[in-house]
Amino acid sequence: MSAPPIRATFSLVDHHDRPVTEATYRGSWQLVQFGFTHCRVVCPRALAKLGEALDLVGDAPVVPLYVTVDPERDTPAVMRAFLTGAHPRFTGLTGSAAQVEEAAAAFRVFARPRDDGTDQIRHTAITYLLDPDGRPAHHWPDTVDAATIAADLARFAGS
Amino acid sequence: MSAGVLDREQLGHLRHWDNLSRQWPNDWSLMQGKGTSQDDFGGYRFQLAYMVYALALTHRHRLPAAPGVFRPTMQRLIEKLLLPEVWLYWRDVSRGGSVFNAHLVDQLHEEWDPVIRDNIMYSAYVQSCALLHDHLFADDRYAAPGALTFRHWSFFWGGGEKRFAYDRDSLTEHLYWQMVENGYLGVACEPNCVFQICNQPAILGFRLHDLIHGGSRADEVIAGYEKAWADFGRLDDNGHYAMMMLSDTRAVRPNEAPSPWVDAWCGALMTMWNRDFVHRHYPSQVAAFLVPGDDGALSVRSAPAREVMGQPVVIDSCDTGWVTAWASEMGDRDTLERLLAHADRRMGPTWRGGGLYYPRNDTPTDAHGRRTDIEPMSGNVLLGYARLNVPDGLWGLYQQPWSPEHHEEPAIVEVDRDVEVSRAEVVDGVLHARLRRETAVPGDGRVTLGRLPGGARLRLDGVEVSAPDGVLTVPDGPAVDLVAAPGTTP
Repeated sequence: MSAPPIRATFSLVDHHDRPVTEATYRGSWQLVQFGFTHCRVVCPRALAKLGEALDLVGDAPVVPLYVTVDPERDTPAVMRAFLTGAHPRFTGLTGSAAQVEEAAAAFRVFARPRDDGTDQIRHTAITYLLDPDGRPAHHWPDTVDAATIAADLARFAGS
Repeated sequence: MSAGVLDREQLGHLRHWDNLSRQWPNDWSLMQGKGTSQDDFGGYRFQLAYMVYALALTHRHRLPAAPGVFRPTMQRLIEKLLLPEVWLYWRDVSRGGSVFNAHLVDQLHEEWDPVIRDNIMYSAYVQSCALLHDHLFADDRYAAPGALTFRHWSFFWGGGEKRFAYDRDSLTEHLYWQMVENGYLGVACEPNCVFQICNQPAILGFRLHDLIHGGSRADEVIAGYEKAWADFGRLDDNGHYAMMMLSDTRAVRPNEAPSPWVDAWCGALMTMWNRDFVHRHYPSQVAAFLVPGDDGALSVRSAPAREVMGQPVVIDSCDTGWVTAWASEMGDRDTLERLLAHADRRMGPTWRGGGLYYPRNDTPTDAHGRRTDIEPMSGNVLLGYARLNVPDGLWGLYQQPWSPEHHEEPAIVEVDRDVEVSRAEVVDGVLHARLRRETAVPGDGRVTLGRLPGGARLRLDGVEVSAPDGVLTVPDGPAVDLVAAPGTTP
């Protein structure tokens, strides 16, 4: 699978309220997942799977990032509370609606409220990997399992 | 085991497609429909692509050991598919202005690259046809950089050359990411208009890409597509396929008339990955469109012609062709045969250059009210597609691909234009073929046999013959049976 044709840029704030860009994490591989904390099915499953993959791969210079597609509800404090409890490896990223929209576009992520009257958001569940220079290196569709992701991570980011 | 020996009509359709593929560039004789500027469902792109699909189905299911019959024709058709006359409509359609995207015209602009955004009604056919070729012939012809290049330059206007270079893999990658960006609902045809039908060929393309390269793009896209459409339903309130969705408002347009082409086209394609669903709904859907004749035949009832903005909508609906192709895929033999019987009695089957087609006729009915009109898409392509397809044919092409061993079996790898191949299959390692010289077209009457085992023995109608370098000359006269068997070990 070739590197995804994405710009992979962002200008957001992390869940400690610090401004960050893709350059902030230069020197580490960035594992980027878009989602939202109120997500009932896709995101919990994806975060758990990525956590398992990171466990399998062990010590690798990988920074897991969880970028919200729901900036109105996902403030830094909300993301911090959510991730610290359930997925402590991840750093949450949020921002203004315009910033989040720009980040989603840079990763070619689709995000749109569902048309079924719920508070859920349909969004791309692809996981992206950026290399230590912040360039797109790989991506995994939602259907890929933890073992495959771990093997790929070891290949890309393993020592 | 393939599906026996082709009959005269089936061979006639193959010959007609070969004849059309050999017309000079921009000679679209017999292919011109009612619509203007290649906008509608009878456009050259659809005729060319579904000739390729039909050839693929015929090769896969009926003449598996005769790549030489299909490969050059498919290449010529794909070459035509890349001609600017086929895709230049996009320069205009990309600007919007239809009733479904008139409110977006300020955001849209003239786009020359016919695959860069939207226009899946063209891009997916280029993609899937190229991949069909490379998959069926274990070839990388369209993987070469620039193998799928769209170029246009006019002496008379427009400045410099427009050139957009793609290949089967870069185009597939591009379509995949468009799918991702659209949340797998699909890529639009005209701006803002996402048709279920026109995203099916892209799924076929992803599947073929996976077969060639490995991976699971098709499964991923289908899973996303299923989830995305789950909010809206693939069927409308009346049990017909939802025709399209407006991207901006997420409003679903039902098949309100209903129009036969919507159900038939969608069903004939979607079955490749969703067979049970399509089969389950087929009987009630198709029943709404069939008109029994007093002679036992069946014709198709089209929806009334529409008026929009005070204008009559002039299109080739291709209803007759699509319903017939759908019946063939569903294995509904009774409906298929009765539809073809009607076409043979009322729609002027014509032989030309050894080929069979049903020439365009805009006259709606005969004096007795029996349907007579037929468009080039139906008459050139779809009735032949239906006649050559087998039950679950596209499903089989998608779900049951050839193994790599297929490409090591003996085969007829080259065929002169004037040779008719009505059987070509390998049974227990022995190549069986039926060959005939066709006098209606020029040629040298030769076929080339490839991948023959060492010491292979060839017989024509039981008489042993030699074929230096695999080249065999087919005698004039009636069809002869060729048997190419491995030599016996002393």
